[in-house]
Amino acid sequence: MSRKVVEIAGRGLSLSNLEKDLYPSYGFTKAHILEYYRRIATFILPHLKDRAVTLKRYPEGVDEDFFFEKRCPSHRPEWAKTAEIRRDDGEQMTVCLVNDLESLIWVENLASIELHVPLARAGSPETPDSMVFDLDPGDRANILNCARVALILRDLLSELRLTSNVKTSGKKGLHVYVPLNRKETTFEDTKKFSKAVAGIMQKNYPDLVTAKMVKEYRKAKVFINWAQNDSSKTMICVYSLRAREKPIVSFPLEWKELENLAGPGDPEKLQVMYSEAVSRAEKKGDLFREVLVKKQRLPYL
Amino acid sequence: MNSLVTRGDKMAVQGIWSGTISFSLVAIPVQLVKAVEPGHVSFRMLHSKDYSPLQRRMFCPEEDVMVPPDEMIRGYEIGPDKYILITDEELESVSPERSRTIEIVEFIDMKEVDPIYYDHPYYLVPSKGGEKAYRLLVEVMHRTNKAGLAKFVLGEHEHLVAVKSTEGALALITLHYSEEILPDEDISPKEGKIEVEEKGRIKTGIKKMMADFNPEKYADRRRRKIMDLLKKKAKEKAPVEAPEIEGEEGEGPADLIAALKESMRKVKKNR
Repeated sequence: MSRKVVEIAGRGLSLSNLEKDLYPSYGFTKAHILEYYRRIATFILPHLKDRAVTLKRYPEGVDEDFFFEKRCPSHRPEWAKTAEIRRDDGEQMTVCLVNDLESLIWVENLASIELHVPLARAGSPETPDSMVFDLDPGDRANILNCARVALILRDLLSELRLTSNVKTSGKKGLHVYVPLNRKETTFEDTKKFSKAVAGIMQKNYPDLVTAKMVKEYRKAKVFINWAQNDSSKTMICVYSLRAREKPIVSFPLEWKELENLAGPGDPEKLQVMYSEAVSRAEKKGDLFREVLVKKQRLPYL
Repeated sequence: MNSLVTRGDKMAVQGIWSGTISFSLVAIPVQLVKAVEPGHVSFRMLHSKDYSPLQRRMFCPEEDVMVPPDEMIRGYEIGPDKYILITDEELESVSPERSRTIEIVEFIDMKEVDPIYYDHPYYLVPSKGGEKAYRLLVEVMHRTNKAGLAKFVLGEHEHLVAVKSTEGALALITLHYSEEILPDEDISPKEGKIEVEEKGRIKTGIKKMMADFNPEKYADRRRRKIMDLLKKKAKEKAPVEAPEIEGEEGEGPADLIAALKESMRKVKKNR
């Protein structure tokens, strides 16, 4: 195994298998992945900060077996930050906190191509700081259908004086976030609210939307998965790479941009590749920053 | 109360497949229908709290979560915790093309087919315009006691099938491939001499018990008892009802629903 030792913030890190191609049909090695995360670090780190990160690891690349790692690997460097969380079954679990560049590079050296995070921080696991609508297209629908649903959702939420932000999932869907950032909010609130919204969307746009989990109902529709608003669930972190054939990123979009793209055409035009992700983030800044800071209260609860 | 219909009450023809059955110059349009309805009584599992029908979900013990369909992939187990991944596309690439014909390639004597090869029976029902040719085929096959052997794609699988005539109708029986049949060589004991006397005794015993095959004499007694019990319970007590499904009106706090409705009205007006 080839190794290379680098120093970040005065800490030595031994990186392995840098030449290994982890996106074989595209040609993107572990070195490329580390380089992507190094360059996007400024933008992704605030969204990872203090969250119990789930590592989705692809040691043999995106075409091979992967595994989820919720517990922080025991062979971690002694400086790696962790948190103790209690799972639903009461068991204690040590999780990784990826709060700085060296931690990010360390978890990426483990081929954690995808980083998934809960909607709450590890210190307050029952307080979601945002509400999410996970828009998932059925077999015969695509991201353009999701875009239509997302735009209606935005308008509906805005009638209730709630600002929302949207990002691509990096796979087939879109994620609409409603920033909350109030310590009084509970998952019970976000679940109740998002379920009601999904219900009214389904009722008013029955040909476009379903709020039902069952797959037969989905087909040509967009499934609004409100049940992601749960302390046990995780979402792909904004700016994380996705394990697809190409290195595509879960990336924030401006609403105006989505409006322009929502028409007919190639669904892939909404996808953002790693290189574009870096240049756009450097130019425009973090379009998802509002999700972390804007305080909003869910009305009528 | 149509949930308590007995078998035979519902004989509506629901085609599983339609196409033509053909050999040499004959082509008969037909529909494939079930020939048997499994006799066991099935129950739905309900949540005891509110009688919601329950669903099966896939669970990931490692991550401790339910796994949605888009995160599932097939793996062929080659050893403990070792799998070969296979995608839908790959599976599709090796699946046979759907066929619209049951092409009989040879006629065989049905007596030559060991029932061990029988997999699943269906009926073939003539479609419009095929009645006459159908009847002709039924009659000739019945008289000669011959069955047509054909290859036929149903679902994703290519089956070897026998088309035979029953009384007045054509039945299609999917057959097992020979590689699916397990060997019986080791079953028959090779040791021990058989006495002629003993052989005779068994022969007489069998002769005494000879009868015509009359399946009506036998019935699934447990099934019948369960059906009787259900009928009795249905009379005594109203059935429990599942709650309204989610997404219907009034899901959530009343004020929120009212506000959402009003907002939705505005959204629709402005679009």
